[in-house]
Amino acid sequence: MAQAALTIDGLSVDFEGFKAVNQVSMVIDEGELRVLLGANGAGKTTLMDLITGKTKSTSGRVFLRDTDITNWEEHKIARAGLGRKFQIPSVFKELSVRRNLEVASCKKPGVFANLGFGFGAVAKQNVDEVLELIGLTEEAHRIAAYLSHGQTQWLELGLIITQNPKIILLDEPTAGMTQAETHKTSLIVNNLKGRHTIVVVEHDMAFVREIAERITVLHLGQVLAEGNVAEIENNPKVREAYLGSKGIS
Amino acid sequence: MLTKRRIEWAMYVAFVALIMIGPLVMDSFWLNRVAKYLVYGMLGVAVALSWGYAGILNLGQGLFFGAGAYMLAMSLKLASQTSLQQGSDKPVPDFMLWNAEPGAPTELCCINKASFLWLPFQSQWFGVAMGLILPALIAVVIGTIVFRKRISGVFVSIITLALVLLVRLVVIDAQPITNGFNGLTDLGWFKVGDLEFDPYVVPTYYLVAISLGLVLFGARLLVETRAGVILQAVRDDQNRARYLGFDVPSYQTFFFSVSAAIAGFAGMLYVIVSEFASPTFMDLTFSITMVVWAAVGGRSSILGACIGAILINVISAKVSETEGFAEAWKAIIGLTFVLVVIYLPRGLGGLAHDLVDRIVTRKPSNGAQALRVTDPSSQAAE
Repeated sequence: MAQAALTIDGLSVDFEGFKAVNQVSMVIDEGELRVLLGANGAGKTTLMDLITGKTKSTSGRVFLRDTDITNWEEHKIARAGLGRKFQIPSVFKELSVRRNLEVASCKKPGVFANLGFGFGAVAKQNVDEVLELIGLTEEAHRIAAYLSHGQTQWLELGLIITQNPKIILLDEPTAGMTQAETHKTSLIVNNLKGRHTIVVVEHDMAFVREIAERITVLHLGQVLAEGNVAEIENNPKVREAYLGSKGIS
Repeated sequence: MLTKRRIEWAMYVAFVALIMIGPLVMDSFWLNRVAKYLVYGMLGVAVALSWGYAGILNLGQGLFFGAGAYMLAMSLKLASQTSLQQGSDKPVPDFMLWNAEPGAPTELCCINKASFLWLPFQSQWFGVAMGLILPALIAVVIGTIVFRKRISGVFVSIITLALVLLVRLVVIDAQPITNGFNGLTDLGWFKVGDLEFDPYVVPTYYLVAISLGLVLFGARLLVETRAGVILQAVRDDQNRARYLGFDVPSYQTFFFSVSAAIAGFAGMLYVIVSEFASPTFMDLTFSITMVVWAAVGGRSSILGACIGAILINVISAKVSETEGFAEAWKAIIGLTFVLVVIYLPRGLGGLAHDLVDRIVTRKPSNGAQALRVTDPSSQAAE
C-alpha cells in the first residue's frame, strides 16, 4: 500500500455545542485524488478549514505524512506542503498575472528574508511553465482584476501549482464556471493527478465523473461512506441522505 | 514593461532635480515656506506607503510626525540661548522653571519628577536617533498587536485615530515636561559640525530637499523588493497570501513601521524649518489632511502622493493670499478634493500612470480595449 499523504484522525470541532465536524477520520494516499461530497452544511468546507489551520479543532489530529500539523498557523501549514484553493476565487487583483505567480514562487515566508530584488531565474522558468499549464501565457501582463471568472479560478490554481505542494485542497474549483470552463479545469486537475495528492470538494457531478477516483461522502459532520463512483452511486445510505432516489445525475 | 519603469524612474529624477533648483528662483521667505511643503511631501510618501501599498489607512500618522518632532525639539530646546541662561551651568528649559515648585533645584535631573527624561537630549544626535526610533517602535508595538490579531480595514483606522488623540491629550497633560498646550518654542538651531541650519538659509532648504529625495528613492526601491511585491499581494488578499505561506503580520508591521519612521523624520525636519513643536501636530485635522494630500496625489503612487501634498499646499498658500478668495479658499480646496475623488479616484498619480501607459503601448484609438488581447504589438511593448 502506498504511503499516507494526509491522515485525519478523529477530527472534531465544536462551535458552542454544534459539532460541524464530528469524529472524522480518513487516510488519503500519496498521489491519490479524493473527492469530498456532501450536501450544504455537511461540513466539507469546515473540514478544509480544520486541515489548513483556519479553524482550530477541539479534538483529533491531522498528519501531513509523518508531521503532526494539527492547529499550526496557516502559513506554516502551507510551507509544510499543503496548498489550498478557496471557493471564492482569491487572487492578488491589482498585480499582473505574472506577478501573482512570482509571489507564489517565493520560498521565504518572512519580510526580512525578502528585502532583495527579483525572484530569480528558477522562479521565472517555473512561472512560465505554470502559465502554460493554466493557459494564461497570453494574459501574463494583464492585471488580475481584468480576468474573466474562469481565468481568475485558473490563476488561483496556478498560484498553488507554482508552490508545488505535496497536497492540494480544492474547494469547489468549478463554482460558477461555464461547461467549457469546467471541462478545461478538469483537464488541468487531471494533469496534476499523480504528481500531487489532491482533495477536491465538489458538487458538480459532471466534473466529479471526469476526475474522481475515490469519493468520501460527508453528512452532518460525519463520514457517511467511502468508495469509487459506482459504489457511492449504489450506496443506499448515500442515496437517502444526499443524492435522493434518482442517483447521481 | 521596461520602458514604463524607465519613464517612472525618470519622473522621480526630474522631480528631485526640480526641487534642487528651488534656491535659484525663490527668496528666503518662499524658500522656508517651500521647505515646509517638501516636509509635507515626505508625509505624503509615508501615507502612500502605508495606505497605498500596505492597505493600512492610518488616520493617526500625526502621532508619528509629532513623536519625531518632539524628540528633536527637546534637543534643540536645550541648545537654545535661553536654556543656558536659567542660572544653571547646564541648559535647562525655561518653562520647567516657570512651573517648578518653590525651592526646587534648577538642575535638569530633578526640577520635577520627570525632568530627568530630558537628560540624554543634551546630545542633539540622541534627539535625532530617537526621532526615528520612537515612531518606529510605537508602530512596531501597535502593529504587532493589531496585525497579529488580524484586525484590518476601518478598524485599524479607528484604532490609530483614537491613539493619536490619546497621545495628544497625554502630551498636553504632561505640562511639566512638554510645556503642554504651548508646545516647545524658542528652539536653538540644528547643527552639523560648524554648520548651523538657520531656517531661512539655502543649506536648510537643501537639507530638506535632499532628505526628501533620499526618502523618495528609498521608498520606491523598497516597494520594488520581493517584500514590497508580497506586501501588495497582502494588501489585495491577506488570506490568499497567508495560505501561500507568508507571515502576513510581519509584512504589515514592517511597512507600517517604515512609514512611521518616515513620518518621524518629516517631523524632525519640520522642527528645523519652523522652529517649534506643538500638540497641534497631533490634531485629528492634520492627520486627515495628510490622507487628503495622498488621495489627491494618488495613494498608489509614492511620487504622486508626494507631489499631491506639495501642490495642495502651494495652491492653498497662493489662493488664501489672493484678495477675494481670502474667505472662500477653504471651500475651494474642499471642492477640488471632492472633484478629484469623483473624477480621478486614483489621483494625479493614477492619471500620470494612464498617460504613460498610453504613450508606451501606443494603442490604436478605436476599439483599443477589445483588440488588446490579440494585438501583438501591445503585448510586446508591455
